[in-house]
Amino acid sequence: MALEIQPLEQFKIERLIPIHIGGLDVSYTNSALLMTVAVALITALLVLGTRQRALVPGRWQSLAEMSYEFVADMVETNVGHGGREFFPFVFTLFMFILFANFLGMIPYAYTVTSQIVVTFALAAVVFIGVTIIGIVRHGFHFLRLFVPQGVPAALLLLLVPIELLSYFIRPFTLAIRLFANMLAGHTMLAIFAGFAASIGIFGVLPLGIDILLVALEVLVAALQAYVFAILTCLYLSDAIHLH
Amino acid sequence: MSEGRPTDPLARLGDEIDKARAKHVQRQPVATDRSNLQQGLSLGFRIGIELVVAVVVATGLGWAVDHWLGIRPWGMIVLFFLGVAAGMLNVYRAVNRISGAAGYRKPGEPDTGTTK
Repeated sequence: MALEIQPLEQFKIERLIPIHIGGLDVSYTNSALLMTVAVALITALLVLGTRQRALVPGRWQSLAEMSYEFVADMVETNVGHGGREFFPFVFTLFMFILFANFLGMIPYAYTVTSQIVVTFALAAVVFIGVTIIGIVRHGFHFLRLFVPQGVPAALLLLLVPIELLSYFIRPFTLAIRLFANMLAGHTMLAIFAGFAASIGIFGVLPLGIDILLVALEVLVAALQAYVFAILTCLYLSDAIHLH
Repeated sequence: MSEGRPTDPLARLGDEIDKARAKHVQRQPVATDRSNLQQGLSLGFRIGIELVVAVVVATGLGWAVDHWLGIRPWGMIVLFFLGVAAGMLNVYRAVNRISGAAGYRKPGEPDTGTTK
């Protein structure tokens, strides 16, 4: 019995509702469906969870309050003074990535964050937003970010390109970190699951590995959302507290 | 009835509160352990990819520059080394907790942007 293992098939985009507008393919896909589910779940958690406004919170209200406090604390410690106004942005980002990652852990659900278009779009929003905030706050002075102080002029010729590069690489590292972790993890899960199905009784071994991998992936899913949010905070902090 | 315990209900309550407090203090280190683990893990995941992406993106950029300007292979060579330097710089800054950022800060300066 030859069982075909196609670990990359899970990342295939399928058009659920084909929509074409003026030659543009804007179909509603399985990826879009999972995004919709993520947003709906987050909204439900926050709106329904806080509806009771109990002094002693119930389970759902606790969950909503915990996620609020977690991100508020992260923004407070990492952006510092004047970071409060960016809380809604960081919170939205964190919750969306967290829910997208966790929804991807459900078997047969599509993992939105395993597509580099999605993660790069998120990273580009962060990067462009942070740059605009920096320029608005500091004007022309913002460019001093790329000029190290107290360095001989000859060395600046070398250091300014390095600083520029290290700044413009940010959206790429941000996008690729999330995308690569999710893609690699889910591919590995599928490969071991394929082994388990194809080698009969000895399949117990890869099945065991798969169970451990699922635990690891749950950790990675939460951690990657955290890393994305905390880096956004650090970048914001740089743009605000420029010297 | 129960011996060794204060019969006064208020004193008994005080006793129980003390016991609960002691338990809470014992549990404290576990919480910090976990947050240390969380920070370490997040840092590890952060810097793991930093160097690789910097080199790959810079080299790709060099390749593109070569194509536009027709100066093969100089753009790629120069940008490869700049990419390595930028990647190292990013890793160094991430580890040093001077935030993952461009721009220098003097060591003595108050560092408003970072954790702790």
